[in-house]
Amino acid sequence: MPDARRLGSAVVALGALLVTAAIAALGLWLGGYDVGDAAEALVAGSVGGRDALLSVTLVRGVPLVLTGLAVALAFRAGVWNIGAEGQLYAGALAAAWVGLAAGDQPAWALIATVLAAAGLAGAAWALVPALMKLWLGVGEVITTILMNFVGIYAVAYAVHGPLQEARGVFPQTDPIAEGARLPALVEGTRLHAGFGLAVFVALALWAVFRWTRAGFSVRAVGASPAAARISGRLNDRRVMLSAFLASGAVAGLAGGVEVAGVTYALYEGLSPGWGYTAIAVALLAGLHPGAVLLAGLLFGALEGGSGAMQRAAGIPAAWVSAVEALVILAVLAADQAWRRSAALVGPSREAVPEGGTGA
Amino acid sequence: MTLLAQLAGVTKAFGRVKALDGADLEVPEGVVTGVLGENGAGKTTLLNVLGGMVTPDSGSVAVGGRRVSLRRPRDAWRVGVGMVHQHFTLVPELTVLENLALGRRTSRWGLRLGYDALREEVAGLVGRTGLDVPLDDPVRRLEVGERQRVEILKALLKKPRILILDEPTAVLTPREVDSLFALLRSLAGEGAGVVLVAHKLDEVLAVADRVTVLRDGRTVLSAPRTEVDALTLIRAMVDTERVDAAAVGHGADRSLRASVADSSPPVARLGEVRVRGSRGEDALRGVSLDVRRREIVGVVGVEGNGQRELALVIAGRLRPSAGTVRLPSSVGFIPQDRTAEGLVGSLDLTENVALALHREEAFRRGPLLRWGALEERTRELVGRFGVRAPGPGTLAGALSGGNQQRLVVARELHVAKDLLVAENPTRGLDVAAASFVHEELSFLRRIPDGPGIVLISSDLDEVLSLSDRIMVMVRGALVDVPHTQRSRQFVGALMLSGVHA
Repeated sequence: MPDARRLGSAVVALGALLVTAAIAALGLWLGGYDVGDAAEALVAGSVGGRDALLSVTLVRGVPLVLTGLAVALAFRAGVWNIGAEGQLYAGALAAAWVGLAAGDQPAWALIATVLAAAGLAGAAWALVPALMKLWLGVGEVITTILMNFVGIYAVAYAVHGPLQEARGVFPQTDPIAEGARLPALVEGTRLHAGFGLAVFVALALWAVFRWTRAGFSVRAVGASPAAARISGRLNDRRVMLSAFLASGAVAGLAGGVEVAGVTYALYEGLSPGWGYTAIAVALLAGLHPGAVLLAGLLFGALEGGSGAMQRAAGIPAAWVSAVEALVILAVLAADQAWRRSAALVGPSREAVPEGGTGA
Repeated sequence: MTLLAQLAGVTKAFGRVKALDGADLEVPEGVVTGVLGENGAGKTTLLNVLGGMVTPDSGSVAVGGRRVSLRRPRDAWRVGVGMVHQHFTLVPELTVLENLALGRRTSRWGLRLGYDALREEVAGLVGRTGLDVPLDDPVRRLEVGERQRVEILKALLKKPRILILDEPTAVLTPREVDSLFALLRSLAGEGAGVVLVAHKLDEVLAVADRVTVLRDGRTVLSAPRTEVDALTLIRAMVDTERVDAAAVGHGADRSLRASVADSSPPVARLGEVRVRGSRGEDALRGVSLDVRRREIVGVVGVEGNGQRELALVIAGRLRPSAGTVRLPSSVGFIPQDRTAEGLVGSLDLTENVALALHREEAFRRGPLLRWGALEERTRELVGRFGVRAPGPGTLAGALSGGNQQRLVVARELHVAKDLLVAENPTRGLDVAAASFVHEELSFLRRIPDGPGIVLISSDLDEVLSLSDRIMVMVRGALVDVPHTQRSRQFVGALMLSGVHA
């Protein structure tokens, strides 16, 4: 990857964050809040101490990193998977189901089964829009969004019905088997092995994109399906299908990790919209797996710090959701701005209009 | 003869490509003017200047005796110039009537669209012109010919004094062509100035009262229909001296090489290949072709006669609907659209080279790509083929058109051990870049064990000067050109009229 592109992504991300911070600060100021207090509370609540960092920020960051990687993977292939949320729920459902049905297998085998089930369920959730896209030409943006609702309500049905806890009081499942739970990564904190998994997936994806033929195929198809097909001897449809399913699997894994590592049970509203925030994470990261890791943890810190902000400065936690949405807008704007300025200084690419040279 | 419009000394460049280089056009009242020229001669650009779609760099445009500046289509309507485009500009989901209402002035406050008045007006126009279309059907349900009638109605509703049609016959059946021409004649009879571009020479000869010929962006001939014949027009369209010189240059060793090629088994073979086109018609209608090592098979034809499909099939990129295809394992393909199909602008040079080489053993280690080796190969290709770029990490999109094509040619020549398919490989290139491509193709033919080459081009000169064998593509079929008939006139006439097919 040439330095120019990496520099471009970094400039865009930094610019977007600065713009977002400025707008957020302005909003807080207009709302009559003390911006300094808010920032202080945000920092203290997210990274100001061992507990805030390990039990809050990093734990919250895990599903964001995983779903962010799922979105980045799909977008890289030119597949607009907006369905990480539904795929996450599908993964969580599968993980809870396996975790509840578990017998006395050894823990490592059980955990592996739980996570595999979560990944498969996420991939299965992505299969529906993938086939609709490739066979029927139905745009995946709409279908993946719709599949989100199906996933969310499928989980709601499960915890109100067949998988509801034995007591039958709350819409949630019983706790999954001890052996199906992810071990703690640091004793005395809530940080679980899922964090290691998220880091591993990020590094693995990075390596795949950088060094493997599969990763190159995905990048080429995402950049230009026609050129990949005609000049690259690549089957663009197969590459898109693989990337779509892999993306679903990673998002499903996020759901499984949340159930097996944090909640130990499935309930309605398990995700506060991680699958959507993931889009902001992936775009802010310029779709680079390594940067997704950083961006996911940054958003984890934001969400983690929002509680502290509410307590200390009286700022509604929902404020952070607005900030996350602002990041998407700022990234899109900064990306275009960067492209334009790059186009102005770079060698000009004359656009000859179709048929413009005669014929 | 009253002139409705006059264009004089018009020039227009797109980047480094000079589309118009001092072109003239006169549009007399009550006359159908046919504009002829090869691909790239500047026909569409010239008409676009009159239609307000293209602003010329220099030269003058006068309409109704007054000099005008047409900066956008609306300016052209205002002075009475209506244009029917090569590509349809209709909204498929709207009905015909709604499409006709687009761009028209609504009632004073913009509240009523005035459909009733419009319907009446259209009915009157339909009665006068015979352009019958179902007014309340959505355009997406219309046949191509019907859509074109809507386009013409749309233009006529603005009551133009001058009507421009850019290749209106390309999508029509022969019967539709006849009725269109009858309409154009009657419009001219009512005093309109009609200007049309048509690819086929016989069509222009059939309908036009005057003929204007463009070559390399210049008007080289403008005369009443009665004073010219087909041969004169073909001679005007093509620069004969250029070809004859090229033919002499290659003539000496051609016979020898041809005999060598004939004795070897073909590296690629198509048998009775059929391909269904995008509109359901047969784009290829039973094409058979053998290609041997060290020969250049030139395929020439007016665009849209199936060359695109032939290129994709013989490059192994398209599976035909019927027939047999036997291709070697290593095929290089230079696609005509290098920015969309040849290269990925947002990837760097190494990655673009990897696009074609990623399957080769030498550049793989298990699931990994050997980027070091790929980068080295890229440096080598960039150096050998004179691609001007700072380094292999440069984005392909940052290169100029000529350097992009050098990169594609370098890569595909490298890949093509057995067969190379080149589709309009010099289109849009400047002279230096074009002669580079020609030299590389000729060089390939001279090396022992070199690949067979299929050169598919709409540039007659290119095909005549490079090919060992020439075939003309006419309406989905290949017609062999006998060695004794390798003249520009013969091949040109075959391309344009298709009568020999």
